[in-house]
Amino acid sequence: MSEIRQIAIYGKGGIGKSTTTQNLTAGLVEHGKKVMVVGCDPKADSTRLLLGGLAQKTVLDTIREEGEDIELDRIMKEGYGGTKCVESGGPEPGVGCAGRGIITSINMLENLGAYTDDLDYVFYDVLGDVVCGGFAMPIREGKAKEIYIVASGEMMALYAANNISKGIQRYARTGGVRLGGIICNSRNVDRELDLLRAFAKELGTKLLYFVPRDNIVQHAEINKKTVIEYRPDSNQAQEYRNLAQAVIENTDFVIPTPMTQERLEEILMEYGMMELADDYKI
Amino acid sequence: MAKLLDKQRYKCALAAMQTVQAIERALPVLHSGPGCAQKLSESTGSSGYFSPNIFPCTSINEKDVVFGGVKKLNSTIENALKVVDADLYVVLTGCIPEIVGDDTGEVVSRFADSEKPVIYAPTAGFKGNNFKGHEQVVDAIIDQYLKKSDQKEKGLINIWADVPYQDLFWLGNIRQLEKLISELGLTPNTIFGYKRGIKNIDKIPHAEFNLLVSPWVGLSNMKKMERKLGIPYLHYNTLPIGATETSKFLREVGKFAGVDEAKVEAVIKEHEDYYYYLIERYADLFLENRVINKQFTVVADAQYTLGITKFLVNDLGLVPAKQFIVDDTPKNYRDQITEEFKKLNFGIEAEVSFETDGYKIHEEIKNHDYHGYPLVLGGYYEKEVTENLKGNFLNVSWPVQDKVVFDSFYVGYEGGIRLIEDIYTVAVSRFN
Repeated sequence: MSEIRQIAIYGKGGIGKSTTTQNLTAGLVEHGKKVMVVGCDPKADSTRLLLGGLAQKTVLDTIREEGEDIELDRIMKEGYGGTKCVESGGPEPGVGCAGRGIITSINMLENLGAYTDDLDYVFYDVLGDVVCGGFAMPIREGKAKEIYIVASGEMMALYAANNISKGIQRYARTGGVRLGGIICNSRNVDRELDLLRAFAKELGTKLLYFVPRDNIVQHAEINKKTVIEYRPDSNQAQEYRNLAQAVIENTDFVIPTPMTQERLEEILMEYGMMELADDYKI
Repeated sequence: MAKLLDKQRYKCALAAMQTVQAIERALPVLHSGPGCAQKLSESTGSSGYFSPNIFPCTSINEKDVVFGGVKKLNSTIENALKVVDADLYVVLTGCIPEIVGDDTGEVVSRFADSEKPVIYAPTAGFKGNNFKGHEQVVDAIIDQYLKKSDQKEKGLINIWADVPYQDLFWLGNIRQLEKLISELGLTPNTIFGYKRGIKNIDKIPHAEFNLLVSPWVGLSNMKKMERKLGIPYLHYNTLPIGATETSKFLREVGKFAGVDEAKVEAVIKEHEDYYYYLIERYADLFLENRVINKQFTVVADAQYTLGITKFLVNDLGLVPAKQFIVDDTPKNYRDQITEEFKKLNFGIEAEVSFETDGYKIHEEIKNHDYHGYPLVLGGYYEKEVTENLKGNFLNVSWPVQDKVVFDSFYVGYEGGIRLIEDIYTVAVSRFN
């Protein structure tokens, strides 16, 4: 029995982390892998496509209503292809400490024995804005050892990715956490592939996979399904299978080398984004 | 690398519950973990009305951290109002709710219409020590309870001094300050201690001015009251101990309050006559027995280090070695306090160090040549190092563990005499 590969997915808010994670999970399931997805976002929408809707009661809601003496099946539901789905959840917006909530739920999962030996992969889908230590929980204490950052060719996505790399670098010094690569969730911006490759190279990592943009993803989401379940024969389903294959085969794990603000802007300039902004006319 | 702070002389800001406790029938309502209050209430004793053991506390736990502790706070205040008969409820927040971001102010504002006033002071430990916490409580009273008034009472003076309970002699000291002010024909108003409480808090806006007797603690409160309540203030930065400083103090207050100079001088003369009568009676002790040390060191908060240094130099003619201020005085006040140590009689200047690390202080004491055995007035922490140097030791500042203090004091003419008694009792004891 090989060790569970625990993977954290980070990236700017709205970039498509949850969609990518769940479609990737579906791809892994097709390869016969056993996967658990842990949503680490108070919005609790990380397992919607695998479960066919927001059917999951979050760990924190359960603790809040029923206390801490609960059974694992109260907080873990089985989704597409036998995936185990957990949502950490969080407090109401504007109160409490969501970061501490993530810590509480992951500890709870450990205590309840959620990390069973039959698992091949555990994914932590972490909310976009890693604002405090709590959201770094999945990469602390040797939980997730691999990280993928979802990004696109948009400027703010790259700023966020660079910033997240700083966090990874910090924890990499003391723990075994490593960056496995950048996953591009394409927004069809100019020279996106080149830009992402250059950006990944500068970070000391690689562009693991380029997921093209396709409206079928939105259709699948409306139908509360992953693309692989919704249209298994579509091109996009194949893209996610390829992404899964890339993750399975990936052996390049690095400590990232985040760049300065100036260097990041240089790269952006080089690939034409800044000029576009100047030429913009109504 | 982490720094080790040895023998710290203060607690965290939440220990401001001492300040609340010093206000008769005022009740701290703690929004904190259960352990904070338990630890911080050690050594304070009862207020005479409330024991620290009954302070309501939200005792927040992990669940409250994740979901916020405001509901618990709301019910704690609600029930405190029902079951504890107090005049003023002061919610004090610890670190946890402040980090989590609980909106304590909003919860407290829900009780604006309750029969008894409820206010709150942010006293998270990370904001600073209990000197800062004390100021936060006074600020809370100013901001949330007091209203500006145009009705001034002639001769009414609010007196503010150092931190109750942190200063073991706080009660006796503030009563002496009241007594001295009364003798000038003025009406003192203080809020701490027996039979003061909320009725005196209500008088604050009617005072002609605030009198702050402290090197720095409370100065920000005075500025706030000047700004918000239109009450001017006189800042007298030295705790007056003994005749020299107390006479100076009375002259300055008298002048600020517009008291007739002849009246001030008459009060001073009466006190000084008796003071020097006592000194003269024991002149033999001072001059012939030569039991007292040549040099001294004070290790205390700014008020005692400054007050006692001036007293020992100006009134007793001792020579200052290095002096230590251990209350973590904010940096912006330090220069001005240091200057005070240069204004001693006979052209003497004392070197002073703002140092919170007991180890470093003790190393300096051990390495200084006191030209004989030293006299050290400090916290209980200085007892052992002084004994090892065969010196004379008097416990005057926190922590105080070798004496019980009810309402003893060192302020004023009488306080100076008490301090001489205490010092010479130690000095003569070594030969008897």
